[in-house]
Amino acid sequence: MEKRHRILLIIALVLLPVLAYFHLTIGQIQLSSADFYNAVFNYSDSETAQLLVREFRLPRLIMAIVAGSSLAIAGMLMQTLFNNPLAGPYVLGINSGASLAVALGTLSGISMFSSNIGLIGLALIGALVFGFIVLGFSLFVRNSLSLLLVGIMIGSFTSAITSLLQTISSADSLKVFTIWGMGSLQQVELSQIGIITVFFILGIFFSFFLIKPLNALVLGENASLLLGVPVKNLRIIIIVITALLAGLVTAFCGPIAFVGLAIPNLCKMLFKTQQHLVLLLGNILLGALFLISCDILVQGLEPFILVPINVITSIVGAPFVIFIILKRLA
Amino acid sequence: MIEFKNTQIGYQQPLLFIDELNLNSGEIHVLIGANGKGKTTLLKSINGLQALVSGQIEIDHRLTSALNHKDLSNLVAFVSSKFDGIEHLKVYDYIALGRTPYTNLFGRLSSEDHIQIQHAINTLGIDYLSDKLTTEISDGERQLCSIARAMAQETPIITLDEPTAFLDYANRVKVLNILKSLATDQQKCIVLSSHDIDICLEMNLPILYIDSNSNHLIKTNTTSKSLLIQHCFGM
Repeated sequence: MEKRHRILLIIALVLLPVLAYFHLTIGQIQLSSADFYNAVFNYSDSETAQLLVREFRLPRLIMAIVAGSSLAIAGMLMQTLFNNPLAGPYVLGINSGASLAVALGTLSGISMFSSNIGLIGLALIGALVFGFIVLGFSLFVRNSLSLLLVGIMIGSFTSAITSLLQTISSADSLKVFTIWGMGSLQQVELSQIGIITVFFILGIFFSFFLIKPLNALVLGENASLLLGVPVKNLRIIIIVITALLAGLVTAFCGPIAFVGLAIPNLCKMLFKTQQHLVLLLGNILLGALFLISCDILVQGLEPFILVPINVITSIVGAPFVIFIILKRLA
Repeated sequence: MIEFKNTQIGYQQPLLFIDELNLNSGEIHVLIGANGKGKTTLLKSINGLQALVSGQIEIDHRLTSALNHKDLSNLVAFVSSKFDGIEHLKVYDYIALGRTPYTNLFGRLSSEDHIQIQHAINTLGIDYLSDKLTTEISDGERQLCSIARAMAQETPIITLDEPTAFLDYANRVKVLNILKSLATDQQKCIVLSSHDIDICLEMNLPILYIDSNSNHLIKTNTTSKSLLIQHCFGM
């Protein structure tokens, strides 16, 4: 790894606990560091402050890290797989697949689907199915712009079906789904953090084994084949890992746009490399930093207005993506 | 090194016929023929990207039909006619990708890998490009980088599809000279397609031409341009 890359990664790594500290302490109720320490190591549920840390602050921070990193990695995987800097789990309809599956589950009113495992299962299946649909299209649609349009059409199609489901569902389940659909990091409960972390670590763990083939894939599919990379299997593995990461986030936070599109591009501009070890570490850190920052903003605005996290990521992310497009044209 | 036996090359229908032909280590061969006669398809077939219509190709005494891409990546390297450069990809990292068949599970470059990469860079005289981005150098320089990548792959065979097509005269001669010396100095078997009949004849490069009537690949020692043009283009 080059010295410049190492320095940038270390800066990001140092920033992470700093921003995490701001994230934990910015809430409306002031908490002391003793409250945080006790909440983790010496918990008593009769203390409101400790309860607040354990049930709200910490899960929200962990979710910001998990969601930011996961979406950024998923975006990086999609962009290299489809050789397209404007690809991402959201744009290509993988998030909408997860949303549709979750909508089908929650709006059906069957209680099994609203359990933790049910929700993750639905989102993963939805993400996986739509991941393979996009992959299938990519085999025929060679033009990268056309593939993005196909992804956007898949997204519109699924949201139409989701809207249709909403009109025929009960008021109660509609409320659950609408809140979920706004996207937020604070609906996660402590009891869910365990399973989320397990899936997250699995996703990252497997991503490290993709570093070598991803480096080759930058040259295109045929060139990678000639370097001995098993491209067919690789495509499937990439889609499965993307679905795992994007599905996980969508299940627990609802749709969060632009992280998966903007952060991998930001990483490439910052690190100026195609070495996927550097990019993977960069995306993990920058994805987390970005979403923590966005959520600090959400928390800072809370006394005045309630802004869904999805709104902040879009307000910041969309102009950045337009900037990338203009920069490429120049 | 490469042995053809009653080989028919093409897609559903055969395009190109090779009755019997051996291409040896230490030799360079230039494929000459009209557009659409199967030069690229032949190179694809040697690289295992296109199945044969019938017959066989043996590489290092092993049938290509029995070799997977992993095996082939240790035997044959391929250079395409144009490499456009890739955003944020450095020249050194690009050439390093030639080491993919040798690196560990995470693609980490060993000291041996770095030695081979540097050796390829030195052979092609492109040390001054190492730290540049593949998008900020000229077409000619990029073609040299692609050849360096193929060299770093350390295969006994290097195939090139019209490697001089987008180059100016000086760079054409330079690339062909480098390929010629790779064959003689490093005992590589080099097969390239080209439309540069004049330069190849001037440089005395062995020619394989595709006869426009019979669609057969024929080895020739001729030095006559008009004869070659007559065979290849029927003119």
